[in-house]
Amino acid sequence: MSFAEFLPQLLPILILLGLVLAVIGALRRILLWRQGQESTIHWAGLFSIPQRYLVDLHHVVASDKYISNTHVATAGGFVLTALLVILIYLFDVATNILNYALLASSGLMFVGAVFVLMRRINPPPNLSLGPWSRLPYSLLIFSSSFFVLTLPASGLLPIDSGSWLLAILLVVGIIWGVGEMFFGLTWGGPMKHAFAGALHLGLHRRQDRFGGGRSTGLISIDLEKDKLGVEKPEDFKWSQLLSFDACVECGRCEKACPAFAAGQPLNPKKIIQDMVVGMAGGNTAKFAGSAYPGVELGSHKGGAVIPIVDVLLEANTLWSCTTCRACVQECPMMIEHVDAIVDMRRFETMEKGKTPGKGAEVLDNLNTTDNPNGHAPSSRMNWAADQNLAVFGSDVDRADVLLWIGDAAFDMRNQRTLRAMITLLRAAKVDFAVLGDCECDSGDLARRLGDEATFQRLAKTNIATMSQFEFKHIVTADPHAFHCLKNEYADFGGHYDVYHHTGFFADLVKNGKIKLNTNNAISLTYHDPCYLGRYNGEYDAPRYLLEAMGINVKEMERSKSKSRCCGGGGGAAVTDIPGKQRIPDMRMDDANSTGAEIVAVACPGCSQMLEGVVEPRPQVKDIAELMLDALCEEVV
Amino acid sequence: MSDIFRRDPRTQWIARNRLHPLHVANIGEPERGPSGLLRKNLHNIGFIGANGVKRIDRSGDSKGGLSGRKATTAVEIVLPLHQIDKPDFYILVVVDLVSARLNNHDRDTLGLAHHMANSNNAKGAVVAVLFGEVKEDKLDTAGIDRLIHFDTSAYQSYNPEQRCADLCNIVNELQPKHILLPDSINGGGDLGRRLAAKLDQRPACGVWKVNGEQLVCRGGAGKTDITRPMAKILLVLEECSEPVSETRHQSLLMPVVSSVTVKQRILDLGNMSVDPNAINLAEAGFILSGGNGVKDWPEFHLAAKILGATEGASRVAVDDGFMPRDRQVGASGTWVTARVYIAVGISGAIQHMQGIAQCDKVVAINNNDSCDMVKRADLSAIGDSSEILGELLNVVRQHAAEKPVNHVVINHG
Amino acid sequence: MIFDPSLNIVTLVSIGEHPLSGRPRRAEQDARALELGLKLVADNLQVLYIGQAKSPATVSVLKDYLGMGLGQIQVLDVPPQADISNTLLENFKANCPDIILTGGRAENGESSGMIPYLLAEQLNIPIVTSITDIVSIDMLTGLAEVLQALPRGQRRKIKVSLPFVASVDMAAPAPRQSAYGCAMRGQLVVKDFNQSIDDVGQRHWQVNSAQMRPKRLKIVKAKTAADRFKAATAKIQGGSGKVIYDSKESAQEIFKLLRDEEML
Repeated sequence: MSFAEFLPQLLPILILLGLVLAVIGALRRILLWRQGQESTIHWAGLFSIPQRYLVDLHHVVASDKYISNTHVATAGGFVLTALLVILIYLFDVATNILNYALLASSGLMFVGAVFVLMRRINPPPNLSLGPWSRLPYSLLIFSSSFFVLTLPASGLLPIDSGSWLLAILLVVGIIWGVGEMFFGLTWGGPMKHAFAGALHLGLHRRQDRFGGGRSTGLISIDLEKDKLGVEKPEDFKWSQLLSFDACVECGRCEKACPAFAAGQPLNPKKIIQDMVVGMAGGNTAKFAGSAYPGVELGSHKGGAVIPIVDVLLEANTLWSCTTCRACVQECPMMIEHVDAIVDMRRFETMEKGKTPGKGAEVLDNLNTTDNPNGHAPSSRMNWAADQNLAVFGSDVDRADVLLWIGDAAFDMRNQRTLRAMITLLRAAKVDFAVLGDCECDSGDLARRLGDEATFQRLAKTNIATMSQFEFKHIVTADPHAFHCLKNEYADFGGHYDVYHHTGFFADLVKNGKIKLNTNNAISLTYHDPCYLGRYNGEYDAPRYLLEAMGINVKEMERSKSKSRCCGGGGGAAVTDIPGKQRIPDMRMDDANSTGAEIVAVACPGCSQMLEGVVEPRPQVKDIAELMLDALCEEVV
Repeated sequence: MSDIFRRDPRTQWIARNRLHPLHVANIGEPERGPSGLLRKNLHNIGFIGANGVKRIDRSGDSKGGLSGRKATTAVEIVLPLHQIDKPDFYILVVVDLVSARLNNHDRDTLGLAHHMANSNNAKGAVVAVLFGEVKEDKLDTAGIDRLIHFDTSAYQSYNPEQRCADLCNIVNELQPKHILLPDSINGGGDLGRRLAAKLDQRPACGVWKVNGEQLVCRGGAGKTDITRPMAKILLVLEECSEPVSETRHQSLLMPVVSSVTVKQRILDLGNMSVDPNAINLAEAGFILSGGNGVKDWPEFHLAAKILGATEGASRVAVDDGFMPRDRQVGASGTWVTARVYIAVGISGAIQHMQGIAQCDKVVAINNNDSCDMVKRADLSAIGDSSEILGELLNVVRQHAAEKPVNHVVINHG
Repeated sequence: MIFDPSLNIVTLVSIGEHPLSGRPRRAEQDARALELGLKLVADNLQVLYIGQAKSPATVSVLKDYLGMGLGQIQVLDVPPQADISNTLLENFKANCPDIILTGGRAENGESSGMIPYLLAEQLNIPIVTSITDIVSIDMLTGLAEVLQALPRGQRRKIKVSLPFVASVDMAAPAPRQSAYGCAMRGQLVVKDFNQSIDDVGQRHWQVNSAQMRPKRLKIVKAKTAADRFKAATAKIQGGSGKVIYDSKESAQEIFKLLRDEEML
C-alpha cells in the first residue's frame, strides 16, 4: 500500500473521529453550562454570530491592529480550512477549485499562525502561558499538514511524491492538528474559546450590547428567592457559565484593571478562569497567567456545588473591584466581569452579611438615614440655605428640570460644584427645582456593595417621590446617580430623560444660553469618570465644554474608554481592600505626567478621591467650577 | 522725646484708687511720685514671713519679691458657715468619688441637694455617703452637712450589692426626703438603679433641671425631655445645678449604720491591664497620632509604647499602609475624645481637625509652624519629628530612672 | 468560642431609634447583647421582644435582628401603654434562664435603663452592668467571669454567680451585619400576652423633643468691683498655643504637659 492509498483511507477516519469527539465534548460542555440557572435563551442571536464577530468583537480587538489582523488571518483561515477539509476529505468532494481554496486557506492560516508565534516569542505578562504557548505550534502544524497534504491532490505535486517518512509526519501532524483544533475545541483546550465564544456571542445575556448598543445597568434580582446572589458556580445563569468559557486569556482586562495595577488581590482574567474551574471542577494550579496580587497560585479548588468564596477565591478579590468596567470594555469576548462580581457580592452581603470595611456601617446608614454617612435626612438641604432653591412639593409642582443633588449635599468639597451648577443654571435661565429633603441616595453604592434590597428600596422611594411632580429632564452632577436614574430605575418603573451636567451644559452652550469666555489658557487634563464614560459613553460633552472655554485638553495616556478609575467606584472606597499602592495615587501620576496644573473632573466621587492624594499635585476642579470661572456675566 | 517728666494725673489717680478696675494691672508698673521720682510701693513688694509678718528682702539677690507678692494676694477667703443643727429632713447624696476625690458631677449633685434642702425656707441637711478612701480636702465647701463614710477595705473594690444594702439601711434609718446620685458611668448610675429596684421606687433618671416639684429628664437616649413630678430617687446629669460655692458646711461625721454583710454574688477580680492599642480610639484618653510627616515608624511605635499612648493616624498614614484603617482619626475615621492628643507630622486636614474637635489638650509636633494643626495646638514643637520624639523619650526615661514609679494597683478585690 | 449548649441564654431586644432621623433601627446596645449571645451559644440563643407585634416598625426592626442569623424571635404582644417590666417578670418567673442579656437602656421612651435592674431584683438574681464580654462560664461552680467596661477603655474583671442579668455596654464588640436573606427567612413567633399591666406612672408625663441645655458660663465670684469689672471686660485667654522651636525644650514642655494631665 502506498502513501497515496494509505492516507485517503486513514484521513476520513481521523477527521470523523475528531468530529465525533468534538460533538461529544460539545454536549458535555453544554451540560456543564446547563448546571447554571435558567435564563432567557436568545435563539435569534445565533444568526447574528458572524456579524457580531466581525463587527462588535473586532471593534474591540482592533484597538490592537497587530493581533486583530493576525486573528482575522488565523481564524478566517481555520474556519475555511476546517470546512474544506471536511468537504474534501470526509465527504470526498474533490474538485480542483476546492483543493486550491484549501491551499489558500491553510496558507492564510499558516501566515496568521506565524504571527501568533511571533507574538509569543517574548510574551507580555498579561498573556497566559501553558497550553496557550502550545497553540501557535498547533496552528502551524494543522495548517501546514493540510497544506502539504493538499499539494499533490491539487496537482501541484505529483500524486505519489513524498515518502513514508513524510506520510508518517503528515499523519502525526494531522492527529495533532485535528486533536487540538477539533477535539480541543470542546474538551477544554485553548480552542475552546472559539466554540464557547461563538455561542456566547450569539446567546449573550445582554443582547443590547451588540450593534452599537449599550447595556451597562446591573440586572436586578428577585428578592423573594430562596437564595440571593451567587454562592456556588451553579448559581450563575447558564449564559454566564457559557460566557466564562469564552475567555481567551488575552489578559487585556488584566492590563486595564486598576485594582490589579494597585496590587489589590484582583485579576479579572483569573476570576473568569476561576469560574471555569468552579464550573468544571478541579483546582486552580493549572492557571498559566498572573495570580491575584498577594495570593499564591494553586491553593484553591472549586466545583459547581462548592461555595466560591474562601474555597475558590478570597472574598477580598471580589471586594477589590471598583466596578469601573475597564475589563468589560476591553474584553474581546464581551464577558461581563462586573455582573459576575456583583452577583457574588450579593450573596456575601445579603446572605452572609459580610460586607467588609465600613460596608456594613454604610448600608446601615443608608437604611436609617438614606445617605451613606448617616447625616440627618433633614439636613440634606442645609448646604443650600443661601441659594433660595425652588423645592418640589413645597414651592413648585412642576419645572423643566429636576436637579438631582445626590450625596454631594453633605460633602463640603462637592457643595462648591453644586453651587457653581446652580449659578450656571440660573445664568442660563433654566427653570429648575430640587427634591429637597425628600431626595434619597440613588442606591448606587448599596447596589454595588451587593445590597440589592436596599437599592430597590431607595429606587422605589425615589421613583414614588418623583412621580408626584412634573418635570421634563433630570440633571445631576453625579455620574453614579446619573447612571442609576437613567439605566437602573427602569426595572422599577422609573423612566426619565436624564442628563449629566456636562451634557446638559454642553447643549446650553451650543444653544448660546451660556456664554463662556474663551481666553482660558489653563494647562489642564480631563479625567473621564467611569460611570459617565464607559457606562454611558459620554466622552465628548465634557471635552466640548473645555474647548468652549478655550482650553486645550492635555489628554492622559489612559483616557476616554481607556480611562483609569479614580478608585472610588463600586464601594471600593468603603471596603478599602489593601494593596501595594492606592488607585487615586496612580491616577494622579497619570495626570502629573501630562504636566497639567489642573485635573478637570465631572464626578463628586472622583474629586474626593483625587483630592485625597497628598500634595503637591495638580488642583482638582469640577467642570462646573471651571465653567463658573469662565462664565460671561450678561450685562443687564 | 523730651526728658521733662510729665505727670499723668489719670495713672496717678488709678494708682491711688484701689477700686479702679485698672488698679491691679498697674501694680507692676514703676510708680512715680508727684515730683517724678521713681518710688517703691511697699504694699506691692515683699512677702509674708513664717510668723505672719511682712518681710521685704532688700538684699537684691532673691527674686522672692515676685512670688511673695503672689502669696499676699492669694488671701484665703473664709466663707460663711452654713450650719444645720436640727434638720427637718435629710437629702441623701451618694457621690462617685472617682480617684477618691469629688469631681464636677459630684459637686453639681451636692449643689442640687443643697438647693433642694434649703428652698422654700426649708431646713434640710445634705447627707453625703462616701464609699472607700477619701483624698478630697475640700469636703466642707462642697455643701456636705452630714457625712457617712464607709471606709473598710471591702469598699476599695467594686461591691455594688454591699453598697446597695448599706444604702438601704441608711434610707431606713434616716428616711431621707430625696436620694440623689450622679447618673454617671462611674458607679452612680449603677448604684442608683440598684437602690431604686431594691426600694421599689421608680427613679427619675437623667434629671437635668428641677423646677420646684417638677423634674425635667432626658429620655429616649437623649432625644426627648420628659417633664414629670418630683420623685424620691433622682439620678441627675452633670450641670443639673450650680455647685455650692458661697458657704462652708459642717460635714459632720455621722456614725456608720451598722452594716449587715450581704452575700456577695458579684466578686471584683480587679482591673485588667489593657494594652493601650487595644483601646477603641473613641474611648482612648491619650493618643499619639502619626501622619505623613512621620519618617521613622518603628520609633513612633516605640514612643507610643513607652508613653503608654493609644496609637492613632491620619488618613494619609493609613492609606500609605503604615497604620491599620481602624486607627484613622478624623471625620471619615474615628471621632476621638482624648484628654491629650499628640499629632506627629500631621498638618491638619479639615476632616482630621473635625475628628479631634473634642480633645482637651492638643500637642503638635511638626516641621511647619504655619500648618493648621499648630494653629489648633495648645503646645507646638517645631522641628524634626523623630528628633523631638527621641528627646521626649530621653526625658521620660531619665525621669523614670530618677524616680521609680510605684505601680499602684487599684481595686485589688 | 461556644459554651455548653445546654446553657440557657436569653437576649432581650428592643426597637431602637436613629438619633438623627428618628427611624426605627436595631438598638445599638441590644444588637451588641445579641452579638454576645450569638458568640456564646450560637443557635441555642433565645431572643425575646416585648411590644406591639403588629406595628410595621417593629416587624422591620425585628427582621433586622433576624438578619444577624437568628432562626426566630419570640414576640410577646402587649398594648403600647403596658409596663413591659411586669410582662417580662411574668415570663421569666416560671423559667429563669441562666443568663439574661440586655442593652443598657432603650433608645426611646423613658430610657431609664431600669429593666435589667427590676428583673434582677424581682427574680432575686445578681446583675452585672456595662459588660463587654463573658470570658468563661463554669457550670459546675455556677460562676461566670465577665468583663465590665470602665471609662477610657479600661476593663474590670468580675466573677458573678449564675443565673444573672447582664447589661451590655457600647464598648462590647460591634454587632454583625444584618443580612437581608436571613432576615426574610427568620420567623417571628408571636404570643399574645394578656396579663399586661398598664404603666400608670407615665400618665402625667409630658414628653417634648430635647431642648438644648444651656452651656454653663464661667461664673466669676469676684469679691471686688475691680475683679468683677475685669471679668466682664477681659478678653478670653488662650487661643493660640505655645510654639517652641528647640527640640530639647519642647521635649521638656511636652513632658510637663503630660505630667500635668497625669498621662504618665
